[in-house]
Amino acid sequence: MTLNFQPLLEQWPYLLGGAWISLQIAVLAFAFGMLIGLLCAAVLRYGPRFARRIVSAYVIFATNTPQLVQIYFLFFALPEVGVTLSPFTAVLIGATFNAGAYLCEIQRAGFDSVRQMEIEAAEVLGFSTPQIIRHVILPHVLKVMFPPLSNQFIVMTLGTSMASIFGVEELTGRTYNLSSQTYLSVEAFSIAAVLYIAITLIATLVLASAGRYLFRAKIKAF
Amino acid sequence: MPQLEIVDLKASYGSQKVLEHINLSVEKGEIVSLIGPSGSGKSTLLRVLMGLLPPEQGTVRLDGKSVNYANKAEVRELRSSIAIVFQQYNLFQNMTVLENVMITPTRIKGWPKAQVEADAIRLLTRVGLAHRLKAYPDELSGGQQQRVAIARALALKPEVLLLDEVTAALDPELVTEVLDTIRELASEGITMFIVSHEMSFVREVSSKVVFMADGLVVESGSPQQIFDNPQEPRARDFVGKILRH
Repeated sequence: MTLNFQPLLEQWPYLLGGAWISLQIAVLAFAFGMLIGLLCAAVLRYGPRFARRIVSAYVIFATNTPQLVQIYFLFFALPEVGVTLSPFTAVLIGATFNAGAYLCEIQRAGFDSVRQMEIEAAEVLGFSTPQIIRHVILPHVLKVMFPPLSNQFIVMTLGTSMASIFGVEELTGRTYNLSSQTYLSVEAFSIAAVLYIAITLIATLVLASAGRYLFRAKIKAF
Repeated sequence: MPQLEIVDLKASYGSQKVLEHINLSVEKGEIVSLIGPSGSGKSTLLRVLMGLLPPEQGTVRLDGKSVNYANKAEVRELRSSIAIVFQQYNLFQNMTVLENVMITPTRIKGWPKAQVEADAIRLLTRVGLAHRLKAYPDELSGGQQQRVAIARALALKPEVLLLDEVTAALDPELVTEVLDTIRELASEGITMFIVSHEMSFVREVSSKVVFMADGLVVESGSPQQIFDNPQEPRARDFVGKILRH
């Protein structure tokens, strides 16, 4: 087998553009998912019983059905009730819906692991509540949550390839296009694999550095 | 003027009274030990002084100024004057030894870093941990962690130090190193409240011993009086029991 990367490498702006769209879906879904997850984790901990039930049902549903099914469902169900979305938006909502449930579980476990004694120690040293959150709770929580969070982000980034099924021209979609134009399928998909690895590695490092510098969290990225 | 004055202090957990009619007056540099059976209110008294449990009634005066425990800002301010060390040390696990000692003066008080660092290293040298500045708490023994906790409590240069059963969670062979540290501090003139079950230590370092039971001060006096010649039957009973072994 001879490999011929040349015609594909000439298309690098097209592929990088696809990777950029993949990254957008992953980052946006992760960011919105974190917010939903934080809200759900707060409800599970402090909310009234019926609200806790609803959140639990959401988490169970979203973590026990395939993400692809969830996106298909949104993709076909929303137009039925009069909401027409672009493929990008539909995929983004689907990915966010799925991520919110996983990120809720990760954040709930993270906040449950905060040591009450350390908070009391900070209180008697004269820390205010925001200072306790900033210097004691967040560094600990981020450290505990970092491995499952970065793992979730990687799963989500790779999951964005599902968007190609719905006509979103992200990395997998564009790779597929190139492969059918050039018949250089093996080469095309190896380039895509390398780009996916690059995205996830860079994102993991960026997340770890942010946690370390902002909150002095003892995070080991790899 | 006494440095710390407690007048008719009363506190409860819900409907359960835990402290009643507490009156104590402490001069600067005094070492006051609180002894008594479990549940007698010794640790609770320290928690009230720290503002962790609001008093129901009564007054605490520090340097003649009465403390308003309902005012959050005032309580935070008070916590630079009175420091406490707990049984479980409660160090910040995500910070090194040096960072544990430095965080309050630098991040909370905004004191200049170079000066704070020099002070922190001096404190840690005094508790015998100059060689572990960069270690994390989980790399230290219990006795070492407790000594870091003492250094951390002293970082804001408090006037009064409260020690709440600081050796109770330690293995017997580690108790000595912590007691040595406290003994040294005692000789340096900082006012201390000690809750401890190490009776021979209490007897040796205290200038005043307070015997408590059921949330009341039953008897107080010099170590000689309380240990050798207690007047109250409950104090006599307690001292008799602990000195018999």
